[in-house]
Amino acid sequence: MSSCSSHSDDLSSVRSQDPNQRRVLDSATRQRRLTRQLEALEKDNFQDDPHASLPQLVKRLPQFDESNESGKRRKKTRGDHFKQRFRKNFQTLLEEEDLSVSEGPNYLTAFAEPSKFPQRHFCAVCGFPSNYTCVSCGARYCCVRCLGTHHETRCLKWTV
Amino acid sequence: MSTLVLDNGAYFAKIGYSHEKVSVIPNCQFRSKTSRLKTFTANQLDEIKDPSGLFYILPFQKGYLVNWDVQRKVWDHLFGKEMFKVDFADTSIVITEPYFTFSSIQESMNEILFEEYQFQSVLRINAGSLSAHRYFHENNAELCCIVVDSGFSSTHIVPHCRGRKMKEGICRINVGGKLLTNHLKEIISYRLKGEDNTVMREYVLPDFSSIKKGFCKPREEMNFTGKYKTGEQILRLTNERFAVPEMLFHPSDIGIQEMGIPEALVNSINNMPEEMQPHFYKNIVLTGGNALFPGYRDRVYKEVRALAPVEYQVSVALPQNPVCYPWEGGKLLAENPDFEEMVVTREDYEENGHYVCEEKFDI
Repeated sequence: MSSCSSHSDDLSSVRSQDPNQRRVLDSATRQRRLTRQLEALEKDNFQDDPHASLPQLVKRLPQFDESNESGKRRKKTRGDHFKQRFRKNFQTLLEEEDLSVSEGPNYLTAFAEPSKFPQRHFCAVCGFPSNYTCVSCGARYCCVRCLGTHHETRCLKWTV
Repeated sequence: MSTLVLDNGAYFAKIGYSHEKVSVIPNCQFRSKTSRLKTFTANQLDEIKDPSGLFYILPFQKGYLVNWDVQRKVWDHLFGKEMFKVDFADTSIVITEPYFTFSSIQESMNEILFEEYQFQSVLRINAGSLSAHRYFHENNAELCCIVVDSGFSSTHIVPHCRGRKMKEGICRINVGGKLLTNHLKEIISYRLKGEDNTVMREYVLPDFSSIKKGFCKPREEMNFTGKYKTGEQILRLTNERFAVPEMLFHPSDIGIQEMGIPEALVNSINNMPEEMQPHFYKNIVLTGGNALFPGYRDRVYKEVRALAPVEYQVSVALPQNPVCYPWEGGKLLAENPDFEEMVVTREDYEENGHYVCEEKFDI
C-alpha cells in the first residue's frame, strides 16, 4: 500500500510540472545540444592548464642538437617562423588543404556513411534500453522512476 | 647504420631500434597541479609524485599531428641522451603517419626530420601498411588483406593488395579510445546506483598512496551491505562494462551517425573489385589498442559472418600484441633487402626538396 501511495506521489509531482511551467525544446535546439555533447567527447582535458596562471617565463626556444646551439639570433627568428607554421589547429589545416577541389580519395571521402540499421536508444539514467522520450528535453528513459530521477536532476538543468 | 622504427601514435609512441625490442611510451607532455614549474615529457610520468589531476598536452588533434612544439619536445627526449641516444647522421628512421595526412603536415615532417634532426634517410609510411607487411610475412600465400586499426583517435579500415593500400576502400570511423574514455566518464558521473545483476562489478579507484592503479574486484569479494571499512573508493559498473565498447560496433548508440566496425568492413570490401572480395574476407587483421578488449575478435567475426555472403569464407586474425604489430612490421621492413630503395636519403631531399618524398612515399 505504501508503495502505491509513493507511486501516486511520483505521478502527481510529475503532473504538477505541467506544460505551462516546463518549456519544451524544439528539434533544432535538441540537435544543437546533441552536437555540443558529441564535441565535448573530443576534449583532451577537463580541467585548466595548471601553468596557465603563471607569469610567462622567457620561452625556451626549440632545442636543436648541439651543433646549432651557437647563433642565438638565428634561433630566435627561426623560432618565430616555426611558431606561425607549426601551431595551427586542425580546423585551419583542413581548410587550407581545400579538399573539395582535389580528385580521388581524400580525408573527406573516407568518412564512414550513416549506418543502414536503425538507431538504438538507451535510457539516460540507467543505461538499459529505453522506449520513451522526455517531453521537455528529448532525453530517453525506460520507466517512470527513471523519468522522475531525470526531472529532478538533469532535465534542462544546464547548457552543455 | 642502424634503423630506428617509430610508430608515432596519438597516444602511445612505439619506438625501438630494429635490432632491439620495442618500448611503448606516452606521446605527450604532462603538467601536474602540485609541481607547478615542471612540464613532464613522455615516460617521465613515473617521476610525478602526485599523479591525480594531470593535464595532458597531446600533439595530435583528431588523429593528425598539429602541435609540432610538443611533438618536437617529446622527440628530443626520445632521441636524446636519456633514451635512445640517436646518432642522427648514421641512422635511418621509419616513421608512421595517419592516412590522408595533409600536405602541409607532410612537408613539416620532412623539414623537421631532415633539416632539424638530420637523419640520414627517412621512410614515411602508414601504420596499416606495416601491419599488412607483417601479416604477409607470416602468410606468404595470401594476396590481399584488410587491416582494422582501432586506436586512440579513430578507427581506420584499410584494404591492402599485393603490398599496396587501396585508397578507394579506406574508411574512417571517428570512434576511438579517447571517445570511449570520455563517454565512460560522462555516464559514470551521472548514473546512480543500479540494482544488482549478474554483470555488476566493483572497481576500486586508485588513491595514489597505497593503490597505484585501479582494479576490478572479483564477484566473491563484493560487499553489498554497508560501506567498506578499508576506505577504498568504489565505483559500481553494470551495463557500462559492455555498453562503452559497444560504441565501436554501433556508434549510433550515442548519436554519431556512422557505421560500426563490422558494417564498415563489409562496405569497404564491397567497394573493391569482385574477384578480390573473397580474399579480403579471408584475411581480416585487427590491430590497435582497442583490439585488446576481451571478446573483440569473436564479436567482429560473428557480425561480419552475419553480413557477408554465404559462399565466402570469413576469417579474422587477432595478433598477440595488437598495439605493437605495426612496429614489428616496421622491424621486418628494415631488414628487408628492398629497404634501401624505399627510403629517401638526405642528399636526395636536399637536391630535390619535398617533391621526391611525395613521389616515393605512398601516403
